[in-house]
Amino acid sequence: MMILKMKKEDLSVFLETAKEWGELWGPTRKGERIAFEKVDGLSQMDLKATRTMIPPKKFLYPQRFTMFDFDDKGYVERTGHAPNRILFGVHPCDIHGIQIMDKLFLEEFKDPYYAERKEKTLLLGHSCIPDDKCMCTETYTEFIAEGFDLFFTDLKMFYLVWVGSSRGHDLVRLKPELFSRDIGKEDILSYNEYRKWKKSQIQAETDFTGMPDIFELGYDSLVWDELAEKCLACGQCTMVCPTCNCYNVVDEVELGTVDGTRDRFWDSCMFREYSLVAGGHNFRDKRVDRLKLWYTHKLQAYIGEFGEPSCVGCGRCVATCPVDINVVTVTEALREQEVGR
Amino acid sequence: MSSPKVGIYGFTGCAGDQLMILNCEDRLVDIIGAVDIHSFAMAKSDNQNKELDVAFVEGSISTEEQLEHLKDIRSRAKVVVAIGTCACWGGPQAMKLEEGGFEDRYGGVYGDANITVTKAFEAQPVDAFVEVDMKIPGCPIDKTEFLSAVSKVVAGRHPYFYKFPVCTECKWKENPCILNEGKFCAGPLTKAGCGAVCPSHNIPCVGCWGPTDDLNLSGEYKLLVEKGYDTDEIMRKFKKFGGAGIAKLIKSMKDEQRGVSE
Repeated sequence: MMILKMKKEDLSVFLETAKEWGELWGPTRKGERIAFEKVDGLSQMDLKATRTMIPPKKFLYPQRFTMFDFDDKGYVERTGHAPNRILFGVHPCDIHGIQIMDKLFLEEFKDPYYAERKEKTLLLGHSCIPDDKCMCTETYTEFIAEGFDLFFTDLKMFYLVWVGSSRGHDLVRLKPELFSRDIGKEDILSYNEYRKWKKSQIQAETDFTGMPDIFELGYDSLVWDELAEKCLACGQCTMVCPTCNCYNVVDEVELGTVDGTRDRFWDSCMFREYSLVAGGHNFRDKRVDRLKLWYTHKLQAYIGEFGEPSCVGCGRCVATCPVDINVVTVTEALREQEVGR
Repeated sequence: MSSPKVGIYGFTGCAGDQLMILNCEDRLVDIIGAVDIHSFAMAKSDNQNKELDVAFVEGSISTEEQLEHLKDIRSRAKVVVAIGTCACWGGPQAMKLEEGGFEDRYGGVYGDANITVTKAFEAQPVDAFVEVDMKIPGCPIDKTEFLSAVSKVVAGRHPYFYKFPVCTECKWKENPCILNEGKFCAGPLTKAGCGAVCPSHNIPCVGCWGPTDDLNLSGEYKLLVEKGYDTDEIMRKFKKFGGAGIAKLIKSMKDEQRGVSE
């Protein structure tokens, strides 16, 4: 891992140069709506925004897309058309989220659609300003050591830039004069100050350790029923979660023919239809069962399988759920055996 | 294989769904090419009352005359598809369903005029009277969803409709949740398919597509009460478009509440 130094004022020029590689996307703000959008340059981005509504998973695995076209003879994949994209301003928690997605989509069963988009996406991370909903120190995702091409840590007067891949290094080489290897004692001290500052900003007191045990002990707890009574089954939590990856697949047919497309769109285990199988049986017919599944998956089963939670502490469920059901309130309720306000 | 024989009919409603079919401008030629339209009073004059493969029915049923016509359509059609929220749920004209007082309301409008054309009754959705094979809700229906369903029916496949609420499409579009702003939004109760068009313009969902398959009415009710909404206002807004679907859910919610208080 190489770490370079860059003047703050040079970022705009750097990004302008990087656009040679592909489209530039970054966090933008319109009123309360914060989203990764295609931008012309740095001036259109809001790097102070704590979190986008939808995590960058939408680039690797869009909300709805066509996988392939078919007719009565066979099918033709739609792969090969994803544009080259540079995502700037991705926060550490979201890069951790993408690493979890990679595990699911690129390892045992390689998903060609995800793989193509991942291959054509450069991840340029950026340090963040946490708010009262962040809990990344509880999921050990407040910093990131890998999974990005470049990572920019804002140290007020300058950036420290982590080079995380050879493709990231290629971007640096487009404008090598903007980067310096001259890192001194002061720089190390200010980076350390930054780390302390960031940790101090996290207000959430969410103890995720021991969650697998608490979940196991409390699987039949009435707390779940109380939560399910409030849950609107709106599915927002699953749409905004950086590690939620469930989808549905449907065919669309061209009128008057048997030709068509096979499309994929985001689905949610919070929906009754999701666990409905042929013959009409539903494995999780009740809302309480679906709610349990989501939380035990994130904070128990995934830990059992991979040794870490599949929650990256981004705070999106905390910010989004209209009835305050989220990783903080659910773990709290299970520990205390009481549902708070 | 001969083209499927289709009829398109309108009852009590604004005819917006039939208009939406006609508004599929760039696809109209394809539709006419793929199906044999036997009856479509809004679009053509030589309409025939013959055996049909598919009958699309818009509007709620609110008179004896309509009911006879509907039964006739049902007897001639292999498949009956309710199109639009009025046909599927009753629409705004069915907001007083289960409340009674139809005679008073009728009298308020017509006084003691001697109406001989037909006898009117409380508007109800099509499936209150005949078997409905498929529902395509919407106010009006969405072109894409309609064409998708028609294409599949013609190809002998099962149509697919989103079963999740508006919130899902709303999140796909990255809109901040309107409920979190303290406003009344019927998104969690309402069937998706509209593309969350209102919330995407920061206008709360009014539920015009009718109730979705899996919702938590009492959860939303309690949340709105918590946010300071008047209980009568909440009920009025729930009933605005939800017709028979919401009336049933409200009844079970009230039964549940009574059960708790007893």
